[in-house]
Amino acid sequence: MTQSGAPVIRVTDLKKHYGDVKAVDGVSFEVARGEVFGMLGPNGAGKTTTIEVLEGLRPPDSGNVEVLGLDVCTHPQSIKQRIGVQLQSVSLYPRLTVTELIDLFGSFFQHHLPTKQLIDAFDLGERAKAYSMNLSGGQQQRLSIALALVNDPELVFLDEPTTGLDPQARRSLWDLVKGLQEQGKSVMLTTHYMEEAAELCNRVAIMDHGRILEMGTVPELIGRRFKERAVFFDTTPKLPAQRLGKLGGVTRAAQEDGQTVLYSNDVPDTIGGLLAMADELSAEPRNLGIRQATLEDVFLDLTGRALRD
Amino acid sequence: MKTLIGLTVANFKSFTRDRAALFWTFFFPVMFVLLFGVLFSGSGDSKVSVGWVDLDGTRASAGVRDAFNKVPLLKFQTGSLEDQKAAMQRGDVSAVIVIPKGLQDALVGVKTGQKRSTSIELYTDPSKTQTTQVVQGAVAQVLNGMNLALAGGSEAIAVNTLTLTSTNISTVAYLVPSILAMALMQLGIFAAVPLVQQREKGILKRMGATPLERWKLVASNILLRLVIAALDTVLIIGVGMAVFHIQIVGNVLQAAGFVFLGAGAFLSLGFMLASFLKTEEQATGVVQVVQMPLMFLSGIFFPFDFMPEFLRGVARLLPLTYLGDGLRQSMVNATQVAPIALDAVVLAGWLVVCLAISARTFRWE
Repeated sequence: MTQSGAPVIRVTDLKKHYGDVKAVDGVSFEVARGEVFGMLGPNGAGKTTTIEVLEGLRPPDSGNVEVLGLDVCTHPQSIKQRIGVQLQSVSLYPRLTVTELIDLFGSFFQHHLPTKQLIDAFDLGERAKAYSMNLSGGQQQRLSIALALVNDPELVFLDEPTTGLDPQARRSLWDLVKGLQEQGKSVMLTTHYMEEAAELCNRVAIMDHGRILEMGTVPELIGRRFKERAVFFDTTPKLPAQRLGKLGGVTRAAQEDGQTVLYSNDVPDTIGGLLAMADELSAEPRNLGIRQATLEDVFLDLTGRALRD
Repeated sequence: MKTLIGLTVANFKSFTRDRAALFWTFFFPVMFVLLFGVLFSGSGDSKVSVGWVDLDGTRASAGVRDAFNKVPLLKFQTGSLEDQKAAMQRGDVSAVIVIPKGLQDALVGVKTGQKRSTSIELYTDPSKTQTTQVVQGAVAQVLNGMNLALAGGSEAIAVNTLTLTSTNISTVAYLVPSILAMALMQLGIFAAVPLVQQREKGILKRMGATPLERWKLVASNILLRLVIAALDTVLIIGVGMAVFHIQIVGNVLQAAGFVFLGAGAFLSLGFMLASFLKTEEQATGVVQVVQMPLMFLSGIFFPFDFMPEFLRGVARLLPLTYLGDGLRQSMVNATQVAPIALDAVVLAGWLVVCLAISARTFRWE
């Protein structure tokens, strides 16, 4: 992975409003060549609008947007020749076969990869003659990404590539994205899955209400807010919150999905205190566990709500 | 150019793999041709049955019957007034002619100068406009001939020619260009449905993310529909010629011009509809709502002159009226609703206006 040279994406103070709705409200970031950059946020955060401005599908209201060193407003055609695009939940011509669709999309570009090569690379050989409407969800998504790569692009945009896929299909797509990076391509993706961002992205921007709240590598984002580790267990009324907050090592107590989370900078001390307290009150902290803080914690901390709400 | 052809081929494949589209485009109009063809060419006996009631029973009344027997369109069954009225109620005869008692006396009276005229009674069914007209025409012809002969002092009652002709061939010949007009109208308007579908599914947007120019997307849609229009034309006329032996006697080039002009006009109407419609369900519904009145108010299935006055006014506003008229004039030399140049101008006008509106209002997502 090389992260040298001019950035492949440079966005400065991008704004895009729809009437009173500030879909994107002053966003700035850069993506380096060879980097996988993730944009993380709930539905309606402005991720898709941002990515569609970069793809040349929507004009920005204001701000400066450069892709591969070119202004999206003045050079949309040159940019489109060199980028790959996978849109969120798009179906294709339902009655064309996999082969026909790859051929067709290839014909739109000056340079394109052989159809056979893409079919093999995306393991679509057995379905090469199937209509796109008869493909499974995972196969459709693989075809959709194969079409994004038909022109062997330098920069690939993936908008929620794994939404709606089963865990196995999701894993296989993650491998594909990692493969893209190994080929030296830059990738910008959006997702609302934390583990996906953590697994794939060199850097992540967390977006909500049209703004970027925080940006950096995943360890950076976690380390910036959470020096502690988290002790968690199923919330029970027998263990009152105010006493939990005063246990040794605890900096903060939080409620998350029916669990109590104690952020602690001295886990042995906290667990010892917790067990003593449970014994005294004849309570049992069920499903007790310890983990590092995650992106999910970062998001909760930033926005006060869970990502999938 | 390679892109444009590739895209059109892809669109064509998509089209031919859609059974519903194939049905409406090819099977439906052919079915219309066959159905109307069979209905109107009435295999064999197409004579109108008329009941004959002779209350006079003289040589004179027999002479009148002889005169009527020479009318090729009519065939007679004789009986009492009650029987014939009952037969008309049942629909066995379309009209009843009653020869009054005293016909011979009356005729003799006329000849000898005692002006005693008499009248023949004709019972008709007002719901059967067409047969009623045929019978009335025939009766008028026969009696005119007889009156003329009587006035001229000659005893000869001769009916030589009748200007009423059988409508068999000309009805099918009238209908085939009309059905072609209907098919072209549907072909154009129905183009709105896949367009709205492609927008709703995000296919148009996905294409927008490639370097494909938008004009090629539009051009390939037009190209596809014109190719289908040509196929439809060959098919419909072919069936008409093969099954019902209609003859294309007009100007072939001019007819081809109207085929493409009409397809273009209704295609831009389809584009305009697609500009205003958001979902595929909406499009399917609205397309039906638009095509039904076009079909039935444009005089493509029955001659313009049969329409009541206010409907003719409506028909004169509809583009399908002019496409049907242009095609009929070009193909079978039918009588005109409007001058052929006006037909062309009206269609071109619809094309330009609808295209301009869609160019301004069409949304790609």
